[in-house]
Amino acid sequence: MAIGRIGIYALLLAFAAVYLMPLYVMVMTSLKDIEEIRQGNLLSLPESPTFYAWVKAWGSACTGSECEGLAPFFFNSIRIVVPAVLISTLIGALNGYVLAKWKFRGSELLFGALLFGCFIPFQVILLPMARLLATLGLANTVTGLVLVHVIYGIAFTTLFFRNFYVSVPNELVKAAQLDGANFFQIFRHIFLPISVPIFTVTIIWQFTQIWNDFLFGVVYSGPGTQPITVALNNLVNTSVGGKEYNVDMAAALIAALPTLVVYVLAGKYFVRGLTAGAVKG
Amino acid sequence: MGSLTISNVTKTFGSTEVLKGINIDIADGEFLILVGPSGCGKSTLMNTIAGLEDVSSGQLLLANEDVTDRSPKDRDIAMVFQSYALYPTMNVARNISFGLEMRGVPKAERDRKVEEVSTLLQINHLLDRKPSQLSGGQRQRVAMGRALARSPRVYLFDEPLSNLDAKLRVEMRTEIKKLHKRLGTTIVYVTHDQIEAMTLADRIAVMKDGLVQQLGTPNEIYDDPANQFVAGFMGSPPMNFVPCEVAEDGSIAIRNRGAVVSLKVPQSDHLKGQDVRKVILGLRPEMITEPKPERSGEWIVNMTMDFDVTEPMGADTIAIGEWNDVEVLARLSPEAGLSAGENTSVQVDLSKACLFDPKSGERVR
Ligand SMILES: Nc1ncnc2c1ncn2[C@@H]1O[C@H](COP(=O)(O)OP(=O)(O)OP(=O)(O)O)[C@@H](O)[C@H]1O
Ligand SMILES: [Mg+2]
Repeated sequence: MAIGRIGIYALLLAFAAVYLMPLYVMVMTSLKDIEEIRQGNLLSLPESPTFYAWVKAWGSACTGSECEGLAPFFFNSIRIVVPAVLISTLIGALNGYVLAKWKFRGSELLFGALLFGCFIPFQVILLPMARLLATLGLANTVTGLVLVHVIYGIAFTTLFFRNFYVSVPNELVKAAQLDGANFFQIFRHIFLPISVPIFTVTIIWQFTQIWNDFLFGVVYSGPGTQPITVALNNLVNTSVGGKEYNVDMAAALIAALPTLVVYVLAGKYFVRGLTAGAVKG
Repeated sequence: MGSLTISNVTKTFGSTEVLKGINIDIADGEFLILVGPSGCGKSTLMNTIAGLEDVSSGQLLLANEDVTDRSPKDRDIAMVFQSYALYPTMNVARNISFGLEMRGVPKAERDRKVEEVSTLLQINHLLDRKPSQLSGGQRQRVAMGRALARSPRVYLFDEPLSNLDAKLRVEMRTEIKKLHKRLGTTIVYVTHDQIEAMTLADRIAVMKDGLVQQLGTPNEIYDDPANQFVAGFMGSPPMNFVPCEVAEDGSIAIRNRGAVVSLKVPQSDHLKGQDVRKVILGLRPEMITEPKPERSGEWIVNMTMDFDVTEPMGADTIAIGEWNDVEVLARLSPEAGLSAGENTSVQVDLSKACLFDPKSGERVR
């Protein structure tokens, strides 16, 4: 029994180490100066840790012709991700509510069609979407990118919320109807308060998807609206003089940080959401 | 103000017809009890009255107004659901007052109502709790409270007391009866509890397979059942059903172990001229008792029975014998001191005997 336990933990630790190794290497490399990196000792701790690479990646590294670091693109990403996540999540919640609790003729078919949207590869919609954005006058704009991400995300967010709401007893809706609540009041007073866990899950999912998106970002953005993923790619591919691995690593970490933060923060709310009903709201 | 007319209402789910043409007229202020075996469509009928399910055909009139196509919230009906359906994130007080809140009742008035209702239902110490922190019986009372907080035209109660302990159930039953007396609101009430049905109802509707078998006062249902199903459904222990031959003179023959007894029943004169050879005799257990010398009359018969088993039940003793090879229950007074054994003297009162057609189960009168 005890031996089995030890074995399990040893195995888990080994797996964790394997998964964390790249992160470790990235962090270590980003804190070294370029001389130390040239010595080629990937795993060693930095002799004299420096934030030089971080500062440069953030503020002055070259991403193509201009050299302002990742900062402007970081804020581009924020301006794309925040509205896109909120809008797609809210639409998904309403869609899911309707498809689960206000079934109408053809609603199952509609849900099936929406589900199909989850399986459409990005590449398929690239050209039609480009045409659409051009027609709407939204090409190369933040609004255009938000629109693309919202449309693409609705299929997933609807699926999440619909499947969550299906398990809510129909009698709750009926009781609220008899109590005189209308469609939106039922959503607001009955469904929203029980939705914290599914909102958390959906927001994490959407945030990760949209923040990490490269393809839409590279295709539909203009010079001033590129998201951080595109800038990271440009940064790594632009070399002035020798390759600065420490700056590349710091830049990659900066690009990845927000998703990590969201996991840590929202993970806490996730647990809170689950226990709120049991203890006291 | 709260009269309710259910006229030819049918309801089909896919290809199954759950309600097959229900006709019930409920007077303003009437207490109507719906009984029937599980799955006969009671809850479905309640849902259609409330407007939570559309009828497939037929009409619903509330206070002589056609409400068939009206939305639930505009029907002014309050309902207690069989599954409680409490709002999980709201505490008890808000659960009770939510309907008032949605209807724009001011806060002070809502608080007063919550106080009043929770006192009535003995849940005022639970007002801050969430439904998940309540026992089944407490949840059920909150569900009651949610309905009672409002003053609708009709209350629909779907088995509102089924989860309470025996003592609380009796208390709540009395409270409901008092409440009905006081408010005079029309109530439709589903129950599986016979005593609830008999004590609360102005009239009882007995349902089976989506049809009303009989609609009548508790006494009519009990003493004058429309068919064998109703007779067997109401009453505990249930009515005895004994297949009998009808003689030329209209009397019926009972083989009591060896001996054959010929019994004249109130229907005998009528049966005489008819070509009915076989009937089922329906006789309630309390019509077979220990001999009571003070009683006599045309339909009182003294005879003997062999009892295989006696079951003391407190207030009376159930004794089990056999007529025409089927089990027959007698309800004896414990004081008579009768016990299992052969040739026990009993008295049979045939004045309320019912006869049923063995094939259709309909009454033979
Ligand atoms: N939404 C539905 N879809 C399909 N069939 C249904 C639906 N609701 C109820 N039924 C069927 O209708 C029949 C009647 O159900 P109902 O709930 O009205 O029974 P009931 O008389 O209330 O039973 P109980 O005493 O067990 O509560 C059942 O056979 C049930 O399976
Ligand atoms: Mg039911």
